[in-house]
Amino acid sequence: MSTYREPTLPTGKFVDPTPAPAESAHPEVGATSAPLKSAAYFIGAHCKEYNEDFMLCKNENADPAHCLKEGRKVTRCAMDLITKLRENCEKEWVAHYQCLEKNNQEYYACRKPERTLNECVFSKIKLEKVIPGASGTPIHLRTDSIYS
Amino acid sequence: MSAPAQELPRPGGFPEIKYKRNIPKVGPSGLTLLVGITALCTFGLYRTGQGNLERRELEREKVWARIHLVPMLQAEADRDTYRREVADKAREAEIMKDVKGWKVGESVYNSDRYQPKTYAVVP
Repeated sequence: MSTYREPTLPTGKFVDPTPAPAESAHPEVGATSAPLKSAAYFIGAHCKEYNEDFMLCKNENADPAHCLKEGRKVTRCAMDLITKLRENCEKEWVAHYQCLEKNNQEYYACRKPERTLNECVFSKIKLEKVIPGASGTPIHLRTDSIYS
Repeated sequence: MSAPAQELPRPGGFPEIKYKRNIPKVGPSGLTLLVGITALCTFGLYRTGQGNLERRELEREKVWARIHLVPMLQAEADRDTYRREVADKAREAEIMKDVKGWKVGESVYNSDRYQPKTYAVVP
Protein backbone atom coordinates (compact mmCIF):
# COMPACT_ATOMS: atom_id res chain seq x y z
CA MET A 1 0.00 0.00 0.00
CA SER A 2 2.96 2.24 0.10
CA THR A 3 5.00 4.36 -2.16
CA TYR A 4 8.75 3.95 -2.20
CA ARG A 5 10.51 5.52 0.72
CA GLU A 6 14.18 5.92 1.34
CA PRO A 7 15.19 3.26 3.86
CA THR A 8 16.50 5.67 6.45
CA LEU A 9 16.18 5.51 10.19
CA PRO A 10 15.00 8.82 11.52
CA THR A 11 17.35 10.17 14.14
CA GLY A 12 15.49 13.15 15.52
CA LYS A 13 11.93 13.05 16.75
CA PHE A 14 9.28 13.85 14.21
CA VAL A 15 6.91 16.66 15.06
CA ASP A 16 3.97 16.93 12.74
CA PRO A 17 3.98 20.55 11.61
CA THR A 18 0.27 20.60 10.77
CA PRO A 19 -1.55 23.13 12.95
CA ALA A 20 -4.32 21.88 15.22
CA PRO A 21 -7.81 21.78 13.73
CA ALA A 22 -10.28 24.30 15.14
CA GLU A 23 -12.17 21.75 17.23
CA SER A 24 -9.07 20.71 19.19
CA ALA A 25 -7.04 23.92 19.25
CA HIS A 26 -6.50 25.06 22.80
CA PRO A 27 -3.62 26.68 24.69
CA GLU A 28 -1.71 24.25 26.89
CA VAL A 29 -0.72 24.53 30.54
CA GLY A 30 2.96 24.64 29.66
CA ALA A 31 4.33 23.97 33.13
CA THR A 32 7.21 21.59 33.72
CA SER A 33 7.19 18.59 36.01
CA ALA A 34 8.33 20.18 39.28
CA PRO A 35 5.75 23.02 39.34
CA LEU A 36 3.07 20.51 38.41
CA LYS A 37 4.15 18.10 41.13
CA SER A 38 4.18 20.96 43.60
CA ALA A 39 0.65 22.00 42.58
CA ALA A 40 -0.69 18.46 42.01
CA TYR A 41 -2.81 18.20 45.15
CA PHE A 42 -4.30 21.64 44.59
CA ILE A 43 -5.11 20.80 40.98
CA GLY A 44 -6.74 17.62 42.27
CA ALA A 45 -8.78 19.55 44.83
CA HIS A 46 -9.67 22.50 42.61
CA CYS A 47 -10.55 20.53 39.46
CA LYS A 48 -12.05 17.42 41.01
CA GLU A 49 -15.32 17.51 39.05
CA TYR A 50 -13.72 18.26 35.69
CA ASN A 51 -11.04 15.60 36.22
CA GLU A 52 -13.52 12.94 37.19
CA ASP A 53 -15.80 13.86 34.33
CA PHE A 54 -12.90 13.56 31.91
CA MET A 55 -11.74 10.22 33.27
CA LEU A 56 -15.29 8.82 33.13
CA CYS A 57 -15.50 10.02 29.54
CA LYS A 58 -12.19 8.32 28.76
CA ASN A 59 -13.51 5.18 30.36
CA GLU A 60 -16.47 5.30 27.98
CA ASN A 61 -14.29 5.56 24.90
CA ALA A 62 -10.52 5.81 24.60
CA ASP A 63 -10.67 7.67 21.29
CA PRO A 64 -8.93 11.05 21.67
CA ALA A 65 -11.68 12.63 19.56
CA HIS A 66 -14.34 11.54 22.03
CA CYS A 67 -13.35 13.66 25.04
CA LEU A 68 -11.96 16.84 23.52
CA LYS A 69 -14.55 19.04 25.19
CA GLU A 70 -14.02 17.54 28.65
CA GLY A 71 -10.28 17.73 28.09
CA ARG A 72 -10.46 21.43 27.35
CA LYS A 73 -12.35 21.99 30.59
CA VAL A 74 -9.69 20.06 32.51
CA THR A 75 -6.91 22.12 30.96
CA ARG A 76 -8.74 25.40 31.54
CA CYS A 77 -9.28 24.49 35.18
CA ALA A 78 -5.62 23.62 35.68
CA MET A 79 -4.59 26.88 34.03
CA ASP A 80 -7.04 28.74 36.23
CA LEU A 81 -5.50 27.21 39.33
CA ILE A 82 -1.98 28.02 38.19
CA THR A 83 -3.03 31.64 37.57
CA LYS A 84 -4.48 31.77 41.07
CA LEU A 85 -1.31 30.29 42.54
CA ARG A 86 0.74 32.88 40.68
CA GLU A 87 -1.43 35.72 41.91
CA ASN A 88 -1.63 34.66 45.55
CA CYS A 89 1.28 32.45 46.51
CA GLU A 90 3.89 32.83 43.83
CA LYS A 91 6.83 33.21 46.23
CA GLU A 92 5.96 30.11 48.26
CA TRP A 93 5.16 28.08 45.18
CA VAL A 94 8.43 28.96 43.47
CA ALA A 95 10.35 28.14 46.65
CA HIS A 96 8.69 24.74 46.86
CA TYR A 97 9.14 23.68 43.27
CA GLN A 98 12.72 24.86 43.17
CA CYS A 99 13.34 22.76 46.26
CA LEU A 100 11.73 19.81 44.45
CA GLU A 101 13.98 20.44 41.45
CA LYS A 102 17.03 20.31 43.69
CA ASN A 103 15.95 17.20 45.59
CA ASN A 104 15.05 14.74 42.85
CA GLN A 105 11.40 15.80 43.15
CA GLU A 106 10.98 14.04 46.48
CA TYR A 107 8.23 15.50 48.62
CA TYR A 108 9.88 14.42 51.90
CA ALA A 109 12.96 16.52 51.22
CA CYS A 110 10.89 19.72 50.93
CA ARG A 111 8.50 19.73 53.86
CA LYS A 112 9.42 23.21 55.05
CA PRO A 113 8.61 25.09 51.84
CA GLU A 114 5.65 22.77 51.36
CA ARG A 115 4.18 23.80 54.71
CA THR A 116 4.44 27.49 53.96
CA LEU A 117 2.89 26.87 50.53
CA ASN A 118 0.06 24.81 52.02
CA GLU A 119 -0.64 27.47 54.62
CA CYS A 120 -0.67 30.21 52.01
CA VAL A 121 -2.94 28.26 49.65
CA PHE A 122 -5.26 27.31 52.49
CA SER A 123 -5.61 30.88 53.70
CA LYS A 124 -5.92 32.54 50.29
CA ILE A 125 -7.36 30.03 47.80
CA LYS A 126 -9.12 27.82 50.38
CA LEU A 127 -7.66 24.59 49.07
CA GLU A 128 -6.18 21.88 51.24
CA LYS A 129 -3.80 19.06 50.53
CA VAL A 130 -5.54 15.81 51.44
CA ILE A 131 -4.03 12.40 50.78
CA PRO A 132 -6.94 9.96 50.46
CA GLY A 133 -6.83 6.90 52.71
CA ALA A 134 -3.95 8.03 54.90
CA SER A 135 -3.35 5.93 58.03
CA GLY A 136 -2.74 7.99 61.14
CA THR A 137 -1.33 11.49 60.70
CA PRO A 138 -0.96 12.28 57.00
CA ILE A 139 2.66 12.00 56.00
CA HIS A 140 3.02 15.68 55.07
CA LEU A 141 1.89 16.79 58.54
CA ARG A 142 4.17 14.57 60.62
CA THR A 143 6.88 16.35 62.57
CA ASP A 144 9.00 13.33 63.54
CA SER A 145 9.64 11.50 60.34
CA ILE A 146 12.47 9.09 59.61
CA TYR A 147 12.79 10.26 56.02
CA SER A 148 13.28 13.98 56.09
CA MET B 1 82.11 -41.36 106.46
CA SER B 2 80.02 -38.30 106.52
CA ALA B 3 76.56 -38.20 105.04
CA PRO B 4 76.52 -37.32 101.34
CA ALA B 5 75.80 -33.67 100.55
CA GLN B 6 72.18 -33.46 99.39
CA GLU B 7 70.84 -30.72 97.14
CA LEU B 8 68.41 -28.66 99.06
CA PRO B 9 66.24 -25.63 98.26
CA ARG B 10 67.87 -22.34 98.69
CA PRO B 11 67.36 -20.69 102.01
CA GLY B 12 63.86 -19.25 102.14
CA GLY B 13 62.57 -21.66 99.54
CA PHE B 14 61.96 -21.31 95.83
CA PRO B 15 59.83 -18.36 94.66
CA GLU B 16 56.38 -19.14 93.26
CA ILE B 17 56.42 -20.06 89.58
CA LYS B 18 54.29 -17.64 87.59
CA TYR B 19 52.40 -19.89 85.21
CA LYS B 20 49.12 -17.91 85.06
CA ARG B 21 48.65 -15.46 82.20
CA ASN B 22 48.36 -12.00 83.54
CA ILE B 23 45.67 -10.37 81.35
CA PRO B 24 43.70 -7.61 82.97
CA LYS B 25 39.92 -7.62 82.53
CA VAL B 26 39.03 -4.83 80.09
CA GLY B 27 35.69 -3.66 78.83
CA PRO B 28 32.12 -4.57 79.64
CA SER B 29 31.13 -8.03 80.71
CA GLY B 30 29.64 -10.61 78.45
CA LEU B 31 26.15 -10.10 79.82
CA THR B 32 26.35 -6.37 79.24
CA LEU B 33 27.49 -6.95 75.67
CA LEU B 34 24.71 -9.45 75.00
CA VAL B 35 22.00 -7.22 76.41
CA GLY B 36 23.43 -4.11 74.73
CA ILE B 37 23.73 -5.64 71.28
CA THR B 38 20.27 -7.18 71.53
CA ALA B 39 18.79 -3.81 72.50
CA LEU B 40 20.62 -2.05 69.69
CA CYS B 41 19.43 -4.59 67.10
CA THR B 42 15.87 -4.41 68.38
CA PHE B 43 15.89 -0.64 68.13
CA GLY B 44 17.36 -0.78 64.65
CA LEU B 45 14.79 -3.30 63.46
CA TYR B 46 11.97 -1.23 64.95
CA ARG B 47 13.28 1.86 63.23
CA THR B 48 13.53 -0.02 59.92
CA GLY B 49 9.94 -1.14 60.31
CA GLN B 50 8.78 2.41 61.01
CA GLY B 51 10.79 3.57 58.00
CA ASN B 52 9.11 0.98 55.80
CA LEU B 53 5.67 2.16 56.91
CA GLU B 54 6.69 5.73 56.28
CA ARG B 55 8.07 4.90 52.85
CA ARG B 56 4.77 3.29 51.98
CA GLU B 57 2.97 6.51 52.90
CA LEU B 58 5.47 8.55 50.86
CA GLU B 59 4.82 6.27 47.90
CA ARG B 60 1.07 6.77 48.29
CA GLU B 61 1.57 10.51 48.43
CA LYS B 62 3.54 10.40 45.17
CA VAL B 63 1.01 8.13 43.46
CA TRP B 64 -1.88 10.40 44.42
CA ALA B 65 -0.01 13.42 43.12
CA ARG B 66 0.29 11.63 39.78
CA ILE B 67 -3.35 10.56 39.86
CA HIS B 68 -4.34 14.21 40.27
CA LEU B 69 -2.20 15.16 37.29
CA VAL B 70 -3.24 12.37 34.92
CA PRO B 71 -6.42 14.00 33.48
CA MET B 72 -4.60 17.21 32.63
CA LEU B 73 -1.67 15.43 30.96
CA GLN B 74 -3.98 13.01 29.18
CA ALA B 75 -6.11 15.86 27.84
CA GLU B 76 -3.02 17.55 26.47
CA ALA B 77 -1.74 14.32 24.89
CA ASP B 78 -5.18 13.60 23.43
CA ARG B 79 -5.33 16.96 21.70
CA ASP B 80 -1.93 16.33 20.16
CA THR B 81 -2.86 12.79 19.07
CA TYR B 82 -6.08 14.07 17.57
CA ARG B 83 -4.22 16.75 15.64
CA ARG B 84 -1.78 14.16 14.28
CA GLU B 85 -4.57 11.78 13.34
CA VAL B 86 -6.44 14.47 11.46
CA ALA B 87 -3.27 15.43 9.60
CA ASP B 88 -2.59 11.75 8.89
CA LYS B 89 -6.07 11.24 7.42
CA ALA B 90 -5.68 14.34 5.25
CA ARG B 91 -2.40 12.98 3.89
CA GLU B 92 -3.98 9.59 3.30
CA ALA B 93 -6.91 11.16 1.45
CA GLU B 94 -4.50 13.13 -0.71
CA ILE B 95 -2.43 10.03 -1.59
CA MET B 96 -5.40 7.72 -2.18
CA LYS B 97 -7.71 10.14 -3.95
CA ASP B 98 -7.46 8.22 -7.25
CA VAL B 99 -8.29 4.82 -5.78
CA LYS B 100 -11.95 3.94 -6.09
CA GLY B 101 -13.76 2.76 -3.00
CA TRP B 102 -10.97 3.66 -0.61
CA LYS B 103 -12.22 4.61 2.82
CA VAL B 104 -9.95 7.12 4.49
CA GLY B 105 -9.06 6.26 8.06
CA GLU B 106 -10.83 2.91 8.03
CA SER B 107 -9.84 0.68 10.92
CA VAL B 108 -8.12 -2.59 10.11
CA TYR B 109 -9.94 -4.19 13.03
CA ASN B 110 -13.46 -5.51 12.90
CA SER B 111 -14.40 -3.57 16.01
CA ASP B 112 -15.56 -0.13 17.05
CA ARG B 113 -13.05 0.07 19.86
CA TYR B 114 -10.39 2.73 19.46
CA GLN B 115 -6.96 1.40 18.58
CA PRO B 116 -3.96 3.69 18.73
CA LYS B 117 -1.94 3.80 15.52
CA THR B 118 0.87 1.26 15.47
CA TYR B 119 2.76 2.97 12.66
CA ALA B 120 3.23 6.63 11.97
CA VAL B 121 3.74 7.38 8.31
CA VAL B 122 5.98 10.39 8.16
CA PRO B 123 5.61 12.65 5.11
